[in-house]
Amino acid sequence: MDALIVTQAINVVYAVSTLAVLTLGLAVIFGLLGVLNIAHGEFVMIGAYCAYLTQSWNWPYLVALPLTLALCALLGAAVERIMIRPLYRRPFDTLVATWGLSLLLRKIAEAIFGPGFHSVTIPLPGTVQFLGIEYPIYRVVLIAVSFAVAAVLMIWYGRSRTGSRIRAMVSNPELAQAQGISVRRLAAATFIAGTCLAGLGGVMVAPLVPVQPFMGLDYVLRAFFVLVVGGLGSVPGLLSGAAAIGGVDSAISAASNATDGYFAVLVLAILFLWLKPRGLIARG
Amino acid sequence: MRAASLVVVIALALPLVLGQFWAYQLGLYALYASAAIGIGLCWGQSGFLPLGQALFFGLSAYLSGFAFIAFQQHSFIAVLTMPVIAFVSGLFAYGIGFVVLRRPGENTAYFSMITLALSLLAFQIATSWNSVTGGFDGLKGIPGLPGLSDLSDVYYVSAAVLLIVLGLASWLYHAPLGVLWRALAQNERRLALLGFDVRMLKAVAFAVSGFMAGVGGAVYAPQQGIVTPQLVGFGLSADLVIWAAIGGRASLIGPVIGTLLVGSLSAELRDSVPFWEVLMALFFIVIVLAFPQGIAGLIEPAWQRLEGRPRGPAPVLAPKGLTDRPAARLALSDVSVHLGEVTILDHLSLDFDRAGIFCVIGPNGAGKTSMFNVVSGELAASSGRVDLGGMEIGALAPHRISHLGLARKLQIPSVFPHLSIADNLAIALWSGRATKLQLLDPRLRRWTSPMLEELKSRYPFLASGGRKAAELSHGEQQILELAMALLTEPRVLLLDEPCAGLSPEETGAVVDIVRWAARRLRGSVIIVEHDMSLVKELAELVYVLHNGTLLARGSVAAVQASPAVRAVYVGGTK
Repeated sequence: MDALIVTQAINVVYAVSTLAVLTLGLAVIFGLLGVLNIAHGEFVMIGAYCAYLTQSWNWPYLVALPLTLALCALLGAAVERIMIRPLYRRPFDTLVATWGLSLLLRKIAEAIFGPGFHSVTIPLPGTVQFLGIEYPIYRVVLIAVSFAVAAVLMIWYGRSRTGSRIRAMVSNPELAQAQGISVRRLAAATFIAGTCLAGLGGVMVAPLVPVQPFMGLDYVLRAFFVLVVGGLGSVPGLLSGAAAIGGVDSAISAASNATDGYFAVLVLAILFLWLKPRGLIARG
Repeated sequence: MRAASLVVVIALALPLVLGQFWAYQLGLYALYASAAIGIGLCWGQSGFLPLGQALFFGLSAYLSGFAFIAFQQHSFIAVLTMPVIAFVSGLFAYGIGFVVLRRPGENTAYFSMITLALSLLAFQIATSWNSVTGGFDGLKGIPGLPGLSDLSDVYYVSAAVLLIVLGLASWLYHAPLGVLWRALAQNERRLALLGFDVRMLKAVAFAVSGFMAGVGGAVYAPQQGIVTPQLVGFGLSADLVIWAAIGGRASLIGPVIGTLLVGSLSAELRDSVPFWEVLMALFFIVIVLAFPQGIAGLIEPAWQRLEGRPRGPAPVLAPKGLTDRPAARLALSDVSVHLGEVTILDHLSLDFDRAGIFCVIGPNGAGKTSMFNVVSGELAASSGRVDLGGMEIGALAPHRISHLGLARKLQIPSVFPHLSIADNLAIALWSGRATKLQLLDPRLRRWTSPMLEELKSRYPFLASGGRKAAELSHGEQQILELAMALLTEPRVLLLDEPCAGLSPEETGAVVDIVRWAARRLRGSVIIVEHDMSLVKELAELVYVLHNGTLLARGSVAAVQASPAVRAVYVGGTK
């Protein structure tokens, strides 16, 4: 096989899998709680800054993970308590409130780290040889971890007790409450899981992107478009959405330029809103 | 009027009080303020939030920059292009609104996200399209407006522009269109059922906001002499939302106060006060969660005293309905509705072929309300056809069906809670009577009709015009909604459990009004009802639905005697 084609194919797989993992957090919160967390991208940003801090303190890269999870969980819990819980079933108000939160987190990052770029060195340098090509090890690991996270989440949601409680809450909160499920705690836990997943995504992509206060905006929009195209509430939906958005973006950007790629993604999302508002794969 | 003159006096006096530097600074923020008024129009009035409003401000600024550079020798022509540019910006917003706001209801979040994305896209285009926009450094060397001698002149131009935009907004907020925008934010479904095209109303609101931002942007270019990509980006978009919120999004003057105060203060304090922007973001969240009225909420009482009580001018008789509606006959033939695996209506055929009062009964889940949803255009039938007055209405939107002479009262009282009783009733009168252009005429708020006068004499609370609908009791809200449905003078009136949750006296009132309406409208009144005593009292003919299909039809006595109907209600085999 042509080495170039293989490389391109793996590049697409890489783009799609990172997009999917960066969407997971938003998907959990939007799909299960019906809350569109516009600050999703800022939780990704927090993960990325944690990675940057870990490295600048000369700690092992993996330390960034517990650091991020702790920070995102704490923040997620506070946010859920203060601005999400009072506004459940008022989706428009939560939208505005989380938009304010995204602004706040962005400005805090700017105040602490300055408006400029920071870069994070790749923790696993070097390449690996397979299928007759050389490919960066870190990217391969990233692809593997993305799929692992998505698979674990899917199996856990489908099989575990908590997973079935969440499903009960999603389909009928009152009935779930009457069955002795603490919907309030479960919803809070779900929200925190979403923010932690976003932070995790941030740690993963930090070495590959410029870390800066405004990075979150792009992630939340892309993640949102993935959900519009893929549909809410299932991992296959999320993956197909990521494939569509990531695929179109990479293809058009490669053929023309990044602006056209972005434009194509936007048009695709609007088309889906028109023609298939429930996305490719709606909740089963 | 007094309030308006006060605003003008303040605007004129400001440079004398504050000095030239601040006048110049305010002159810049006055332009942003006209864009912020547009945010207030969309968010505070109509209930949807554009997050990328800088798109229109920046687009117009670029266009105006091009025009001033192109017509360097004839700056007079360049000035003439400015209103055209603002209009183009409004048209562009209309297009976006029309495309994105296609589906009713839940898409407000989608709209916000897409406008945000558009603003990011515009920023990318503005930075990368070097040959046209000047790239990251911006479009430079734009000549200024002709005939301005010093900085206070610059201020006066901006102030005049802002006052014009304020005047436009004030007029629209007082016109029926503004009432409909507020109604849209409060109860979109009711508005659609009353015969208003909610998608069009939203798109027009967004277009006007795009125009207002466009006015600001068009003046910005010659005033500042440079247009940079930041003007279309998310930074300014975000600032506009913050300013509108802090000033008070729901009020006319709020976004202006917010922009002039917070905006110009920020420009000063951003660099000297640490964490200033963090504080502003926090402030925004607190305002959104706890003080939606913003600063304007604090000064509103004084403002209102200044305005004085509006004198109640004499009411005007509304014209008769625009369409001469044919005698109504509602017929469903072989209608099925499937949602996934579930069959909701199963080859249902119903014919209401004459004037009179009909009752539809059936156990829970029989498909009664779904049948109403199909008829009013809210639920698409999977197969079969629905005819109203000989016209197929299966594929029509709710507002079109309403225009053909259908009105519907929902089960839970569905009115516009934060509008006055008078406005609630007026909206019903405008339906099918007012032309699109007339919706700009504030005098329409004084419309009345013989039927409204009769209703007011029967139910005096309907005449206490200034009270908000939310202040009414449950029973009064039921009657208000029923009155609104009647005022559209429908040929077919659908009532979904009109007496649910009413006291015996209130039930008596509704029975009266239904009988009176049936006589008065000479059409058919179709009632979904559980209460058999009510059915006995009202129904000329009873239809029994079960499992989505028609089980029996006949007089009350005949239906009650039917063994099939008894089996369904008592239980046992079908």
